[in-house]
Amino acid sequence: MSRVASDFRVLLVEDDPHLGAGLAENLRAEGYTVEHLTDGLRALEWLQRESCDLIVLDVMLPGMDGFTLCRTLRERGVVTPVLFLTARGDPADRVRGLEAGGDDYLAKPFHLQEFLLRVRAILRRWEWYRNASATPATAVLRFGGNEVDFRAFRGRSWNGEVHELTEKEAMILKVLSERPGEIVSREDLLERVWGYDVYPSTRTVDNFVLRLRKRFERDPANPQHFLTVWGVGYRFLLEPES
Amino acid sequence: MPVSGATRSKAARIFELTALLLVVVSVVQVGWWLYDQRSEATRTVQHVEALHAQQVQAAQALLASGVPEASVRELLPDVVIEAGQARISPDALATLEEHQRRRINQYMWESGFFLLVLCVCIAVIWRALRTEARVRAEQESFLALVSHQFKTPLASLQLSLETMAMRELPAEHSKRLTERMLADIARMEQLVSQILESARLERGRVELRREPVELASAVARVVGQLEERARAARISIGTEVPRDLYILADPVSVDVVVRNLVENALAAVAPVGGGTITLRARAANGEVELAVRDTGVGFRPADRARLFEKFTRLHPGGGSGSLGTGLGLFIVQRLMQLSGGRVSAHSEGVGRGAEFVLVWPRAATEPDVRTEPA
Repeated sequence: MSRVASDFRVLLVEDDPHLGAGLAENLRAEGYTVEHLTDGLRALEWLQRESCDLIVLDVMLPGMDGFTLCRTLRERGVVTPVLFLTARGDPADRVRGLEAGGDDYLAKPFHLQEFLLRVRAILRRWEWYRNASATPATAVLRFGGNEVDFRAFRGRSWNGEVHELTEKEAMILKVLSERPGEIVSREDLLERVWGYDVYPSTRTVDNFVLRLRKRFERDPANPQHFLTVWGVGYRFLLEPES
Repeated sequence: MPVSGATRSKAARIFELTALLLVVVSVVQVGWWLYDQRSEATRTVQHVEALHAQQVQAAQALLASGVPEASVRELLPDVVIEAGQARISPDALATLEEHQRRRINQYMWESGFFLLVLCVCIAVIWRALRTEARVRAEQESFLALVSHQFKTPLASLQLSLETMAMRELPAEHSKRLTERMLADIARMEQLVSQILESARLERGRVELRREPVELASAVARVVGQLEERARAARISIGTEVPRDLYILADPVSVDVVVRNLVENALAAVAPVGGGTITLRARAANGEVELAVRDTGVGFRPADRARLFEKFTRLHPGGGSGSLGTGLGLFIVQRLMQLSGGRVSAHSEGVGRGAEFVLVWPRAATEPDVRTEPA
């Protein structure tokens, strides 16, 4: 089931000719199949025809900036992970990138090793998610009248409401549902869903779990499926405890 | 930056509120003064009217007791006696009313002037604060932009070096990376000198000479320097500059602006895989126009105003990116302004080429007709 590097197709969108060429050469040297574009609008056009496993996206781009491109992709239901590259490294910009639907964020200038490590980590997380949702049995999760389709990133809650899930929400649900009844720590969730140091705090996980509760719990204030284990993390139950 | 922006607007709001409060309090105070004056005037009029009534009564009593009319008139000058009846003279009443009206008028003018001075003072302070805030914001955004401009070549440099350190590369690849690194260093060097140049131009600390410059030679010199680069990118440069055209300008700055525009045109034509650049000059209305037209990527007409701002790089969808600093056109515009000329840009849209027009004052051809340095 596991794929080799050349099976992974990376779309690199970087308009600086030197940086773009250098990154493309290094990604190819790692064995990835690389498509290099220099314009945001062209990247959007390309993504309408083709698919890839990862988008490495510069923020300041001709045609359409990276944040807008990412947001547009997410609105169109494209869940391909995005690694942002930007010359602005301040925290506000970082948050903007992640809010636009980015998976990771690297400020220029960066270390080549770190860049490659992050690319590998994002692809590994997605590979795990894809494998863990590959069979009909693992692609759909049913609990307490709710139904979640991991491949379509869509959920139908107990009251019949349909929810489009973000890739992070789906991943958190996947991690929790792989170990029903067991305690999963916040750090574990961060590591599996985001990777090491993308987010500054474990509070982020709490916010995502709150969102899942609002979508799938009958009474979000008194959860029956997404239980908090104080000071540690969360426990997911397929059926409410009697 | 957003933090200081928020602080700045908060400070401005506090000042605006304080100023508004000051104006309101002053208007109320002035209103009170006027009201008080009017009341005082009314009271005075009533008091004088009571005195008049007493005088009429006294006059009437004196007449009744047989005092002659002439003596009564002498005793009470404001009283007139007609057919044995005493009343107050109309002149006395008119004088009183005129006096009161003048006082009220005087107060109204003085209050109006006071309010006007107050408003002018507030406006002056407000303007000064706004200018200061704008200067601070410009400095902040300039710093942010400068550091941003440096990060890309720096990232490229670091990437090339780390690639060499991490991988066993064939000699040809190493050579390519070395060339890339040298170009990145050149890019940063150009950025530093352009930043210094634009700062100098902005502060007006340049003394440009004004002397007759033969435009055809200047254009030929610049084109000669860039011809090889153009050939390598399959771009042909054509010039149509009459020999006898003399402009009134600084010779060095003419080279700089023409070079900047031709380099820009090269960068705009290269992404579309080659094309032409034409430099055409003509004299009109005591001026000389030099149009630099290219068949490159062009720009959206809406972006025309932004072109000459600092650190604007439009990337008009042409693709392969540019290594520009975003300062070239800013420098061109400042140099043209300082030498009494102007520059404008035109494009019919992305992918449809662009034209930049430089305009200088025309100079007489005789070398002895020289204008003193500006």
